[in-house]
Amino acid sequence: MTAVENPAPRQEEAQTYRPSTLQRFLPFIIAAAVPFILGSTTGDLNFWWKASITVVVLAVVARLAWKWTPRGELTHREDMRLWRTPSDRSWAALTMFGLLVLPFILASDFTPPMGFPWATWFAVVNLVLIFAMGAAAFNLLVGYSGQISLAHVAFLALGSIVGGIVGVQWSGGNMWYALPAAAVAGAVVGAISGLPALRLKHLYLLLATFGFHFVMMLVWREYLQEYFGFVGIRFKGENSPRIASWLHWLPGIDPDQNGEFVITGQFRWYWVLMPITVLSILFMVNVVRTREGRAFAAVRDRDVSASLLGINVARSKLFAFALSSAIVSMSGVLASFYIGSRGEDSFNVQTVLNYAIIIVVGGFSSIQGAIFGSAFFWFLPEWFKWAREELWFVRDIDFLSDYPSEIDLAIKGFLVVVILMFKPDGLAGLWRDFKSWFSRALARSNP
Amino acid sequence: MLLAFGNFTADPSVNLQLLIGGLALGAIYAVVALGFVLVYKSTDVLNLAHGEFLMLGAYFALTFLISENLNFFLGVFVLLLVMLAFGLLVHYGIMRRMVGQGFFAIVLITLGIATIIRALLLIFYGPTERARLDLLPQGSFEIGGATVRYVDIIIFGVVAACVLLFFVFFKYTRLGLHMRAVADDIEAAAAMGIDPDKVYAMTWAAAMVMAGVGGLLFGHVTGAIDRSIEAIGLRAFPAAVVGGLTSLGGSIVGGLVVGVIEQFANGHLGTKWREPVAFSVMFVVLLVRPTGLWGRKDLERV
Amino acid sequence: MNANGLDLRIEGLTVIYGGVTALDAVSITVPSGGFVTVLGANGAGKTTLVRSITGLLYLHKGRVRRGSIVLGGESILGKKSPDIVSAGVAQVPEGRKLFPNLTVKENLLCGAASRSDISGIDESLEQNLELFPQLRPLLSQTAGLLSGGEQQMVAVGRALMSQPSLLICDELSLGLAPKIVHRLFELLTEINESRGTSILVIEQNASLALQHAADAYVLELGRVLIEGTADELRGNPMVQELYLGGGGEAHTSYAAIERPGHSRPLEHGQRPPAAES
Repeated sequence: MTAVENPAPRQEEAQTYRPSTLQRFLPFIIAAAVPFILGSTTGDLNFWWKASITVVVLAVVARLAWKWTPRGELTHREDMRLWRTPSDRSWAALTMFGLLVLPFILASDFTPPMGFPWATWFAVVNLVLIFAMGAAAFNLLVGYSGQISLAHVAFLALGSIVGGIVGVQWSGGNMWYALPAAAVAGAVVGAISGLPALRLKHLYLLLATFGFHFVMMLVWREYLQEYFGFVGIRFKGENSPRIASWLHWLPGIDPDQNGEFVITGQFRWYWVLMPITVLSILFMVNVVRTREGRAFAAVRDRDVSASLLGINVARSKLFAFALSSAIVSMSGVLASFYIGSRGEDSFNVQTVLNYAIIIVVGGFSSIQGAIFGSAFFWFLPEWFKWAREELWFVRDIDFLSDYPSEIDLAIKGFLVVVILMFKPDGLAGLWRDFKSWFSRALARSNP
Repeated sequence: MLLAFGNFTADPSVNLQLLIGGLALGAIYAVVALGFVLVYKSTDVLNLAHGEFLMLGAYFALTFLISENLNFFLGVFVLLLVMLAFGLLVHYGIMRRMVGQGFFAIVLITLGIATIIRALLLIFYGPTERARLDLLPQGSFEIGGATVRYVDIIIFGVVAACVLLFFVFFKYTRLGLHMRAVADDIEAAAAMGIDPDKVYAMTWAAAMVMAGVGGLLFGHVTGAIDRSIEAIGLRAFPAAVVGGLTSLGGSIVGGLVVGVIEQFANGHLGTKWREPVAFSVMFVVLLVRPTGLWGRKDLERV
Repeated sequence: MNANGLDLRIEGLTVIYGGVTALDAVSITVPSGGFVTVLGANGAGKTTLVRSITGLLYLHKGRVRRGSIVLGGESILGKKSPDIVSAGVAQVPEGRKLFPNLTVKENLLCGAASRSDISGIDESLEQNLELFPQLRPLLSQTAGLLSGGEQQMVAVGRALMSQPSLLICDELSLGLAPKIVHRLFELLTEINESRGTSILVIEQNASLALQHAADAYVLELGRVLIEGTADELRGNPMVQELYLGGGGEAHTSYAAIERPGHSRPLEHGQRPPAAES
């Protein structure tokens, strides 16, 4: 630790838990070791060695980058750490471990008992990743900064438009140009769409952003008709994103017959989507913890008082809009390329509703909740389908098999209502409750 | 040019037809907007489920008036009674617990209710579309080269009557007075012995009844009765905002204004311009005069 | 008016907001036809006391933990506010809380919300206008546009519309000119004497309240600090020091004075650690 980072130790700081260097890097070491262990059993040692070393190097680089990132205004740094307590850190390590192992498990030909739908899960996991990113950004805007907006689907459409222009029309399937372009376009358009927020609040802001939604839908339809006709944009086939040839030396990248490495199939997509989602979510979590993020909360709670405290309210609001819109637009690009085609009816009011369902079920104003919510949103139909087909006591109810998607919708709507009535912090709240119950139980068992 | 403009025509009969069509559409918007205004005025809730309420009304009208083949007046009575019961259910079952919650949480719960209604209607009525209602007089007459349908005139009359009815109710009845008091200051109203719970329940019931009326009327002019008619709820938003979300009379004026603007945009620019133009008008009104043309101003205390 | 005052007995009342205790074992008695004042600074729990009596705690997520509130021999604790108003409790809320978009007449009529005798309401309205003749020309005026004094008159009139047996006035003097406050207190005394209505006045303006009331309580940090007759309290050196400012003026700094139960005085600008008032 450098002197700058380590202020004079205070009384209470001396008592806080300080992990050793080994402990700090343990999650990354575990994460790196697992592919190696898995690989040693499958025999493809060469690949796994490369993969492990890459992961270790990346982990160390990430850790050092993290450590040496200037923190600006961050004082009381113990409080401001990303993972404050040992328990937080172990959960983070466990999550990271899970994320690294998950694709290998899903790609294996493992078949769970009772026909549990394993094969379809991979697609669902990838969708969850994309939606979690968009929903987290939405939650950042609506939950943290309190700027009520229904325009997020407009930014998914914007992402598709940018993906269409930059990714398809200009570069013939280069998602890597489209992503930053969408971020920039999203930030600019987002800030513009946020202008009404300087004058309007609550209901009126909601309506204004909803108006923006319809304007963007018009732009989307016009764009489609002008260049692509009614079939919509094709993001797959010849337009699929590729890994550039100068990166083919990377471990795990084995070019196909024609010397190209096309990102296709769930496994490859996972390794594209997972890092982007994780990084963008970590980025948002970080923003929330900084001065800027605290300004969001202050503006949300009372913007007049916030302005009296010296917070530039207009800047804070526009920044929230720009940031959220940029990330939603990026998730729009990812969704376009992942799903493979976007047409006239890809974005509608139901999409707006879906995002609302995700953030309510997951937990309003919680970035973590966005992940839970989108996981729930995409897994529910799968589980429901499985239950209808395999569980004997559900299979016999004709009613359920006759209207699967409708009942699915009803369940979601019902859950939204029930959660808002009885557990407003949603699944994320349940998870917090579980964690505190768990640590209390732990404390009870070894006093 | 990305956006293609249609031809502007100076033919007076075409414009007259558009005006009449716009007024007819506006009358429908006014019915829906009235439902929004009722709820928003009394309970401060933005009810995004109103389109679904209206769809519920249309389907129930189908059941009671076509399938059960009840006498028209009896059928309408039963329809409104059932809708009233649903309104009470919405309040006592759900919204009652939400009093005092954050604004957006309440908006989201209305979206949840919307989802449930949508799903249940699909389950019980199926996705097949039904022919529109034909219980009101179907004919039309010509005026200055433009066609006017009887149905539109009836709708217009019903809306005007409803607005008048609610106006009288709020102005001259005790319950109406109490509803306005709760809208002004719920705590002071409770301190005076007014039961906010009862007032809110009445509000939801009234809004549901209005949705029943709206469903019955809209069922006569929509292309077909299917799940797409819920969209009228969202399309009526500009009307409610332009008129002012707290003004009963504003909803009728806003409805007509937006209806006419939309119809002209439709006729001269093309169908796709309908919604963007309406929402742009709403947007401008929001920026210039957020409380709408007739809405009351709320002062905020720091 | 024939409504005889009812007596109010509050015993051991403890109220919490979330985890914060706002009232701690407070016992206050308003005798039938009595005139009682409760004094206290900001945050002493006065408004919480009013909310507990009138059944409005739930709107602020507050909760009665212990104690009893009995009006005329009948417990009103846990009843809903409409029932409590029907039982005879009316209040002039803190900050008047008129319905700003309603006219003066409509405001007054709202006060009679709990009554079922329609004919009697007009009679009460007329009585009110005799009590406050200034309001007669303002009847169709929007209440939000009135001056502070006029608004307070409407608020008192509105409370009287329900023909209460117990009238609770919360911070009547807040933001009003002394002349108007004097006039209002004289009116309260008149109502108290002529109609026999029990009156409970929550006040910061101690000198005025002690002039008119018979009994008084001093509430501080959610507890009853001093109680006695108004004369006793006027003579109490601590009350003089704290609330009468030595020379009989109200609103002098009460900080930096040693009080029982506190090891050190509150420093300037420091708020007593009670919940919202």
